[in-house]
Amino acid sequence: MLPLEYDRSQDRDIIVRDRFDTLRREFLRTIVTPEVIEEHRRSPLGQHSERLERLLIYFRQRPLDERYALRTVEPFGKYQVVRLSGHRGTPPRAVDETIYASANEALHGLFLHCIRDLLET
Amino acid sequence: MAQIKIFGYADKISVKAGDTIQFHVSADGTSTAEAHLVRLIHGDEHPHGPGFIEEEIDCVANGTWRVEKQFTQVGAFLEVADPDRKLALDGSITLCAFIWPTWPDVGHRQCLLGRWDNDKNHGYGLGINPSGRLEFWVGCGNEIDYLQAELPLQKQAWYFVAATFDARTGRATLYQEGVVNRYNSLLGKVAPVDYRSHVSEVFRFRQHNLPDTPFLVAGSRDWHALRGHFVSQLYCGKIDRCGVFDRPLRREELDAIRAGEPPPSFGMVACWDTTKGYTDRGIGDLVVDIGPNRLDANGYNRPVRAQTGYNWNGRNDCFRLAPHEYGGIEFHADAMIDSNWKVTRTLQLPETLRSGAYAMRLRGGDGTGLGEEYVVFFVRPRVPTGRIALLFSTATYLAYANERFATDGHIVQPMAGQPPTICEVDIEIYENPEFGAGCYDSHADGAGVCYSSYRRPMVNMRPKYRIAAFDLPWNFPADLSILAWLEHMGYDYDVLTDEDVHLEGVAAMAPYACILNSTHPEYHSERMLDAHEDYIAGGGRFICMGANSFCCNVAFRDDEPWILECRKTGGHWKAWAARPGEYHLATTGQMGGIWTGFQRWGQKLVGNTFAGEGFAHSQPYRRMPDSYDPALSWITEGIEGDIIGDFGLGNGGAAGIEIDCYRLGFGTPPNAKIIASSGGHPDNYIAHDEEGAYSHQGFSGTHNYILRADMVYFEAPNNGAVFATGSIAFGMALPINGFENNVSQLLSNVVNAFVRPGPLPSSAIREGKESVEHLAI
Ligand SMILES: [Fe+2]
Repeated sequence: MLPLEYDRSQDRDIIVRDRFDTLRREFLRTIVTPEVIEEHRRSPLGQHSERLERLLIYFRQRPLDERYALRTVEPFGKYQVVRLSGHRGTPPRAVDETIYASANEALHGLFLHCIRDLLET
Repeated sequence: MAQIKIFGYADKISVKAGDTIQFHVSADGTSTAEAHLVRLIHGDEHPHGPGFIEEEIDCVANGTWRVEKQFTQVGAFLEVADPDRKLALDGSITLCAFIWPTWPDVGHRQCLLGRWDNDKNHGYGLGINPSGRLEFWVGCGNEIDYLQAELPLQKQAWYFVAATFDARTGRATLYQEGVVNRYNSLLGKVAPVDYRSHVSEVFRFRQHNLPDTPFLVAGSRDWHALRGHFVSQLYCGKIDRCGVFDRPLRREELDAIRAGEPPPSFGMVACWDTTKGYTDRGIGDLVVDIGPNRLDANGYNRPVRAQTGYNWNGRNDCFRLAPHEYGGIEFHADAMIDSNWKVTRTLQLPETLRSGAYAMRLRGGDGTGLGEEYVVFFVRPRVPTGRIALLFSTATYLAYANERFATDGHIVQPMAGQPPTICEVDIEIYENPEFGAGCYDSHADGAGVCYSSYRRPMVNMRPKYRIAAFDLPWNFPADLSILAWLEHMGYDYDVLTDEDVHLEGVAAMAPYACILNSTHPEYHSERMLDAHEDYIAGGGRFICMGANSFCCNVAFRDDEPWILECRKTGGHWKAWAARPGEYHLATTGQMGGIWTGFQRWGQKLVGNTFAGEGFAHSQPYRRMPDSYDPALSWITEGIEGDIIGDFGLGNGGAAGIEIDCYRLGFGTPPNAKIIASSGGHPDNYIAHDEEGAYSHQGFSGTHNYILRADMVYFEAPNNGAVFATGSIAFGMALPINGFENNVSQLLSNVVNAFVRPGPLPSSAIREGKESVEHLAI
């Protein structure tokens, strides 16, 4: 928490949201295991274990400018992971050079970016 | 060299063989495009299907077209026709208006009303300056004098504002008072907010008017070397009654107008009564001047009428009940309902052209990426010949036109259960407001987009396109899988569009023994819904191919069927929410929202409608006991086992994406049977809130049997019948294994029975059985 910084923002909702997410992240970090990551690798879409589902629900609810997306380089052949700008008019930008050969591989690559963000914040 | 980009649209979405159609094309980085008429057969490039299929058609327009960059005026405003220049006031002046700004702090100047040339700095204007304050200014070319209010305007608050200018003394005065009541604004009385400002100053000079400057409301004239004249300083917010006088009104006179008294006629040049001309059947684009000069104003890019006014007090919920409380006209700086590009090419279609889904394929440069464009339109025969029609959901295509929810919508990832998959054209429309938005988007000022039109490039009504949010073909490209199936099976069919059904009613449907609709037939005008009901009740046989069917209520003007109006209200499944008091369609006066709100659930028409949605993963159907009823077993004839559709281009199953279910309490006909049903969808599938007045954790796929697609069959009067698939993914399962699969088998069983004249197999069998039983007794 950086109280002084928040004092300049009119929308106090952001303070509450950030506090909630701090606690939420604290818990979510404890459920990141190799098994959960492997479960996602095997099946990025569809019904998941409760642990994996909790992580995914959190990732999908991030503010727009913290969210990732796939960019189709070549339909059904080449995908990249990009990060959304959250600002209309500003295109998403690639997070790295990696090109994935399938949508599922790219979805897992994207998931690993989310996991990294979670563990590092 | 600049990247080559080609975009285009046609003036019509539905034509008949022999009709004339116009193409409007804009190009970047090239002055020529190779054009070729094509008939579209399959649109999904998924490797498990047949891929993209088009048929090149001979046509006089094929060949090289000259193309150029075309510009689009975005933003809604009013333009006053003033041929006698009554508003070119060189002396004293008063400008006044009720306003409700939505984005006063946008950071650039917004013109409320004035006769101002923003390029040459001539004329006068009242607006909001870059610091969000009310401002009056006059210009004489080389100089501008400004007078600004002491404090910024509050957003979503009603004000009465005015500027008076006494040409004799040079004194300019600003008048700004809040007219906030308990209902009409964002904040109420308890918020300690200061709305008032009264300032005055002596200007150094008088305004000088150019002869051809238009008087505009919500914008001002500008000029660009390539574009020529255009409108800038666009305003975001509502304007209620406003006027112009050729004398400085006194403070007491302005107080009286603020209090709702009629404006004084002495000195009145124009007085636009924004509530005048309303009818019980809707509101047009003309804003009536009740002053002495009859200087009516006309809306550009369809300013939103029927909005609550400064004096709305919460009792009346529609402009039809209290027009005088609905004087609000809402403007958005990024509204766009017509690109208004020059015609690039006019084509008379061959008389012999068969009915189908067509496109003018345009390629610039090497024709890859944004250098390739398909301008899609639908061709009906001059006289219906086929027994089958495929009805394309053009109203739904309009509602979704150029949606940006993958890049802009907070709710989309949680709803889709997956991150978006974005392609080049998604980024293009995200960067460039000239494409206009769809009814799933919000304007940059935060209000929902309630108008969508096909007189602009619709990048998602294209073959091959995949919706970014769900990484699926959506609407038109998905519906081509149904067309490809009809082609593959060798059926003789015509195509129809929602527009035909809206304009011609049941007459457009009546010639056909059997009509199939689309994967997602969601949006319907009242006339379309009535036509469907009359068609089925009159003996028509209808196959509802998709899901979330017949849910949303929309409206079109008869003379402008290319523009759809949609107000989102009712239930919590909506991309945005119409504001309180603004639930009614300005086009017709009818309430907007969902047909559920009118006791016209989709179930009442086709036996099932919206259960829920979840995307990301689809399921098969399982046969239900009714499918083994001897009277109904013809539907599943030739199908082995209980499982139907454990495959598909729509996330691996025939049941999924959005799913519809049977419900007697919502009007499913009592004789309806469930042939097959899905279930066990992932928990990302959440039940629609009509299923329960409260939400709880048990409203998701693995917890609740409501989350399922039902294949429903029932017979209607006069040998009519309905078969409804209840799933968006159903049509996308047809192409699997070269169209040889049990979903295809089932659909052909139904189509074959539906096109056969005389009683349906079920009633024939039932009657036969009844007579046997009778004999046995
Ligand atoms: Fe929809």
